[in-house]
Amino acid sequence: MAIRSPLYPLQVKLKARFTEFAGFEMPIQYSSIINEHLAVRRHVGLFDVSHMSNVWITGKDAEKLISFSTVEDAARIADGRSQYTEILHDDGTIIDDTIFMHLGDRYMMIPNAGMNTIVTDWLNKQAKTHNLKATATDVSRDYVILAIQGPRSQETLQKITDTNLAGVKFFGCGTTKVAGVDCIISHTGYTGELGFELQITPTSKAERVFTAILDAGKEHGIAPVGLGARDTLRLEKAFMLAGNEFAGGHTPLEATLAWTVFWEHPFIGKETLLAQKTKGTYDRMTCLECTEKGIPRHGCDIHKGNEKVGTVTSGTLSPCLNTGIAMGYVHQDLREPGTILQIMVRDKPIAAKVIKPPFVPKEWTQTHIEAV
Amino acid sequence: MPNEVRDDLKYTTSHEWIRIKGKQATVGITDHAQSELTDIVFVELPTVGKTVNKGDELCVVESVKSVSEVYAPVSGTVTAVNTKLDDTPELINKSPYHDGWIVELEIKNPTDLTSLLDPAAYKKLA
Repeated sequence: MAIRSPLYPLQVKLKARFTEFAGFEMPIQYSSIINEHLAVRRHVGLFDVSHMSNVWITGKDAEKLISFSTVEDAARIADGRSQYTEILHDDGTIIDDTIFMHLGDRYMMIPNAGMNTIVTDWLNKQAKTHNLKATATDVSRDYVILAIQGPRSQETLQKITDTNLAGVKFFGCGTTKVAGVDCIISHTGYTGELGFELQITPTSKAERVFTAILDAGKEHGIAPVGLGARDTLRLEKAFMLAGNEFAGGHTPLEATLAWTVFWEHPFIGKETLLAQKTKGTYDRMTCLECTEKGIPRHGCDIHKGNEKVGTVTSGTLSPCLNTGIAMGYVHQDLREPGTILQIMVRDKPIAAKVIKPPFVPKEWTQTHIEAV
Repeated sequence: MPNEVRDDLKYTTSHEWIRIKGKQATVGITDHAQSELTDIVFVELPTVGKTVNKGDELCVVESVKSVSEVYAPVSGTVTAVNTKLDDTPELINKSPYHDGWIVELEIKNPTDLTSLLDPAAYKKLA
């Protein structure tokens, strides 16, 4: 039986259609994926992302535990700041990508949907093995997570909170009240647009916040947004999706996440990662934009002429560009921007050009932002 | 809004409609099917002259998230395709029974028609 969000009854009222994702029954769309996608790029959208996990990391060695268990040196992340990072196996492959928030004497980590037990157990195992006074506690079901995203997100949210949102830096975090409800707020998101994420407990208060945001955003054309548009929005920005881009054991270097690796500290997986870096040759995440009609999908082969050179990890039609876009791992020599490869869609080659990510740059929003 | 079922058409359990005029048939997907798919963004049309058996894959209709096959309601030969769908696949969403038609077939076996659903039977399904 799939887990439902505490907001499920409200979402039914809002005529959501549901899908099963990582053991959760979540809205895939309310009106249409394209409408919801464009609402976020042009105005503002509201997502329930309660399928994501929440893990508290507490104790005097909490910072050390995070540093040791991720590619980030948590000592660099000041109180009131959050950070995107990855947790690795000993062999350097990614267990999960996550954001952690530094909130006073403790940290909240947001692993992916269904990763709560794996990550919590892994962290506690490391704490025990390395004698660190720190504890990871899975509180995923105690929180509703909302994301409000889009160029009008700040104006919308500002109407129902006393916190000066203009003063919250990108990747800043803290506590606030939204519509009178206590929340953890962070200036983060998964759409590439201006946006905020809220962690709300107890979950019984979340409906009030969700409804208040929809009301506040009405004048800006707010739309409730499902996981369908969440996927197309992240893909246009070439953000990784665990389970797609990481399935099958890829390292941060292969996933082109080298920018997240802080090398000057000891962490699990560092040795193999360093060896890979020194060797220098490996397949890397590559972005492909179709130059012919056709929609690449997860699992399609990538060809160079008659030779298979990779597999699509994520593919869709880009609602902003109206072309097929895809990500997949190919050899580093084949990923020079402008290189033409072929994506096999139902045994037919569709020409696709390697591009430098993202598919949809920030300028798109600036030129397409619309007053309602 | 309830899904529209037209009285002048026949239907299949896989949500195609068929308009029969003598030996010629026009085929599309129903209002119910387009509303389930939403946002049709690509149609891979068959080539004119292709022969299909009843129940074969006739073409593919894609939404943002999904790929769906359209099946031949009857056996026959494709005599025309709606090339407007190449650039405006959303015609299927806007007008599933008219501008969003997909193919025309020359019917091979008139007996195939007996197994199609009448509007009342399809209404129960959709």
